[in-house]
Amino acid sequence: MLSDSAWSRAAISNLELRSLKGQLIYLGMLAILVLLSIVVIVPFVYAFTSGLKTGREIFSPNFNLLPAQANWDNYVQAWNYFQLPRLFFNTAVMVTGGLIAQIGVSMLAAYSLSRLKPLGGRLIMLAFLVTLMIPGIAYIIPLYVTAARLGLLGSYWGLWLSYGVNAFMIFILKNFFDGLPSELFDAAKVDGANAVQVFVYIALPLTRSMLIVLAILTFVNLWKDFLWPYLVLLRSPELQPISVFLYTMEQRSTTPVNIQMAGYFMAMLPPLLIAIILQRYMQRGLSLGAVKG
Amino acid sequence: MVTDVRMPGGRRLRVNWSQQIVAYLFLLPALVVFTIFAWFPIINSVFMSFQNVNLVDAGRSTWVGFRNFERMFADPTFTASWINSLEFTVLSIIIGFFVPVVVAILVNEMRLAKSFFRVVYFLPSVIPPLIGLLVWRLIYSPNPGGLLNSLVTALGGAPQQWLQNPALVKPSILIIMTWGGFGGTMLIYLATLQDLPVELYEAAEIDGASIWQRARHIILPYLRPTMLVLLIVQVLGLVQIFIEPLVLTQGGPGQATMTPVFTLYRKGFLNGDYGLAAAWSVLLMIVLGIISLVYLRMSRITE
Repeated sequence: MLSDSAWSRAAISNLELRSLKGQLIYLGMLAILVLLSIVVIVPFVYAFTSGLKTGREIFSPNFNLLPAQANWDNYVQAWNYFQLPRLFFNTAVMVTGGLIAQIGVSMLAAYSLSRLKPLGGRLIMLAFLVTLMIPGIAYIIPLYVTAARLGLLGSYWGLWLSYGVNAFMIFILKNFFDGLPSELFDAAKVDGANAVQVFVYIALPLTRSMLIVLAILTFVNLWKDFLWPYLVLLRSPELQPISVFLYTMEQRSTTPVNIQMAGYFMAMLPPLLIAIILQRYMQRGLSLGAVKG
Repeated sequence: MVTDVRMPGGRRLRVNWSQQIVAYLFLLPALVVFTIFAWFPIINSVFMSFQNVNLVDAGRSTWVGFRNFERMFADPTFTASWINSLEFTVLSIIIGFFVPVVVAILVNEMRLAKSFFRVVYFLPSVIPPLIGLLVWRLIYSPNPGGLLNSLVTALGGAPQQWLQNPALVKPSILIIMTWGGFGGTMLIYLATLQDLPVELYEAAEIDGASIWQRARHIILPYLRPTMLVLLIVQVLGLVQIFIEPLVLTQGGPGQATMTPVFTLYRKGFLNGDYGLAAAWSVLLMIVLGIISLVYLRMSRITE
């Protein structure tokens, strides 16, 4: 879908590219894109280099992106001060549990709706889809009240279970199952496999490549989540994931700015690395969503 | 066990009950989590908006009629929040909407390094927005030594109060939002552009259309349906602005960045006035629901 057919033409033809005018236009466009890339990256670079500066240097009125001297010690301090290993661990626990819940719940539901033909299935699908029309933030208050009354605050369960709700994923997976040839399933049934066996041995293996894409996308999305983990874990600082903890720290303490920045940069690294290393999967995942929107 | 069920309209349906049980067992986890975390809260927000809510014990909540709604409409932050939403929307269409369109067109022309640009522009979309905002707050620092102010000074300008000046705060926030979002949107436009048949360019070229004319008369019309859909997606996002005022401005200066969701959050979680916050929720759900319906209409037309 997003293949890199490097030499295929777009509006500018290959012939025009050989003329002086064509090359000037092309270089102009390239210059704009390079400039924009720099602007996009500056906040990351700034967080990184501010983490290397002294506190006074950061607020020096002279424009300086680079530190006079790199104080790597700030990073060591930030690592210990924010207890980053624990924060990464908490975030990983929150995200992994959420991922399992989301993919597990959605797979089972999608498979049922697509292949097992439950009575009223269309109505149920519609009820799932309706939740897509109302963003979660609009009903965050009653959601919080429900979680409070069920005793789900202050534990990961309040997060994991709620992450099981993703109508979009059910929709995508149902479409996927709908598109599989039914002979695959019929053959297994003739051989005497029951519904669970067909699901485990036929349906699951077929979804593998798609699951990888969905898992990476979900991983990044859950890693980004802030408000709901903040509300659920407000009074359990020892369980808070990284962005919640950094926010609460920032609210109540007087951490030196350079240590803060060093911490923020390290907090941004895991998702950045994932995006760079797994770029193909991520972009394929996005186009899954793009087709419909 | 198989039985026949009479359907409305006299149709008979053969039902295999043991198969139905299995089907519903597969559906059960989804039905449970959707009930607890989506369907019930959505419906309950309507009930709560007519109550004086007791957080711990639902039985001790009392019915108060339309009082929460009356209080909501009488609140001066009500008008301020929704007008801010409108201003954010209009401004963002000016500032941010065309950025991914233009960038996608440019990237699509590149013969090399396409995937480099795709990845770089997408990077701000993958980091937790909260951490990005904490960094941006320092960039926008009113201190003459803030990154942006030191740059402006170096270029011969005067330091600005980016987030403290009511005239600058909305554009400043929208620049952050554009930074965080345009990469993902651009990928959608790029995917659309890659489906554009090359023959169209060639035909236009033979007719003597310049590069600019090709962009104007072939690329833009081709992108228009996608643009319409993404415009609505953008509006949907702008009505939900929350984390930016939370981290950067607390709704200020004055009420310049008070938004519906941020107000709802403050009424509910800071004042503990859950009934009033539920009234805000109900209105917000209606507004967002209407925009979503428009979106559905649009994307169906597009297909």
